[in-house]
Amino acid sequence: MATRRALKAVLVDLSGTLHIEDTAISGAQEALQKLRSAPVAVRFVTNTTKECKRTLFERLQKLNFDIHEEEIFTSLTAARNLVEQEQVRPLLLVDDSALEDFEGIDTSDPNAVVIGLAPQHFNYTTLNKAFRLILDGAPLIAIHKARYYKKLDGLSLGPGPFITGLEYATDVKATVVGKPEKPFFLEALRSIGCQPEEAVMIGDDARDDVGGAQNAGMLGILVKTGKYQPGDGGKTNPPPYLICDAFPQAVDHILKKLL
Amino acid sequence: MMAEWCKPAGRVRGVLLDISGVLYDSGEGGGVPIAGSTEAVRRIKEANLKVRFCTNETQATREKFVAKLQNLGFDITLGEVFAPAPAACQILKERGLRPHLLVHDDLLPEFNQIDQSNPNCVVIGDAADNFSYKNLNQAFQVLIGLEKPVLLSLGRGRYYKETDGMKLDVGAYMKALEYACDIEAEVVGKPAKMFFLSAVSDMSLEPDQVIMIGDDIVNDVGGAQQCGMKAVQVRTGKYRPCDEQHPTVKADGYVDNLAQAVKILLEHLH
Repeated sequence: MATRRALKAVLVDLSGTLHIEDTAISGAQEALQKLRSAPVAVRFVTNTTKECKRTLFERLQKLNFDIHEEEIFTSLTAARNLVEQEQVRPLLLVDDSALEDFEGIDTSDPNAVVIGLAPQHFNYTTLNKAFRLILDGAPLIAIHKARYYKKLDGLSLGPGPFITGLEYATDVKATVVGKPEKPFFLEALRSIGCQPEEAVMIGDDARDDVGGAQNAGMLGILVKTGKYQPGDGGKTNPPPYLICDAFPQAVDHILKKLL
Repeated sequence: MMAEWCKPAGRVRGVLLDISGVLYDSGEGGGVPIAGSTEAVRRIKEANLKVRFCTNETQATREKFVAKLQNLGFDITLGEVFAPAPAACQILKERGLRPHLLVHDDLLPEFNQIDQSNPNCVVIGDAADNFSYKNLNQAFQVLIGLEKPVLLSLGRGRYYKETDGMKLDVGAYMKALEYACDIEAEVVGKPAKMFFLSAVSDMSLEPDQVIMIGDDIVNDVGGAQQCGMKAVQVRTGKYRPCDEQHPTVKADGYVDNLAQAVKILLEHLH
């Protein structure tokens, strides 16, 4: 096994790892404080398509987490960064509450398409508009490709099916920017200026958090909170670098063994 | 002009014509005939060649559809038209399937004889504005709730041309439901072999005696070639120049429009 470089960054998932809805994971606030005493940069990463950074930040603040808004990196941020890099003007098929994260981006005369979870935009007319743009050469940027999600009254179609339909119709592959895609993790690290080999990810989703991070060259720590189910450790190849009870234990390990 | 697809002389006895993009472009007010197409159909019939129309249009019943085309000046009758809905009904009856329909309102009468209670499958057609999130979600929920989900798709076209621009076709939505449910749809209509062959046998001909003329390189041309027919692509309708460099389908001929195809065909008849 190659010698790893010194640890420079820790990426932390939000929902399921630091908190579950409006309840913090026990001991997580103190653990974060301890982590901040170490010479590592910290980023909070999540796959939201509906909540802008400010909403996430306010929720964490209320739960007494020592966190700064600029440390939050979401799949919406990843999409925005890509739009800026490519210097395109996007047709934004995202929830109204997510538009705030695209403030300042020119959306006139669009030459790109960004799709998130936005049922109000998944109608025939709007999808045709997106379709024609892509047929004319506009890149298709997908926040993520979830098949469906759980609502109170059952399962509902996610953005994945509509993105797949557009890919088929245009013969164009979407660039997916959310977890577990490599670009998501690389982009989060770019803001810190460190390499994947110098970073570790802590999360409760074996595939999206740990699998994705390790595939990008980082170490992955799987915590047994949130959506974790027994046996999840076997879902990634290679298996997680470490499986531990919760965020505080993950931080303890990092401070003792990785610095 | 090279016209290998017409040779040997005397072999070609019948023609299969796609409708949308070959005869006319659909759209507001019923659509607009493509220049030279009404005359071309007449010339084919006058030359004593057999004709059948193979369409995947599912925005109306065949009766309404044929009436519309007759109003636009086309010499076409109901018995000459092969469309997916009747073929689907046949399959539904044979397999005891009761469909949840995600189709255009004007297609519903085609399913009047079909039991739609307690659905155990989904039939999807070119529903156009009926492709709302709500309707797609409903179809999805039917499928995801079935132990053995069956999705019948009336065609699998990616898009088609209307007078006001290109529009997503049923194939895109078929793929959406396939992805959501992790299943594979069964296609009724082009490019399914059965569909082409039923039209060919209706003319009492063999596939190698029939030429297919269409604007969709994969579903018209490729599909027909798979059945042993020669097939020609017109540069009208949904045609795009990149079609002539398609990675897997090479048409037996590329012509500007139906009128030109017929001109060449008739020149080589004898």
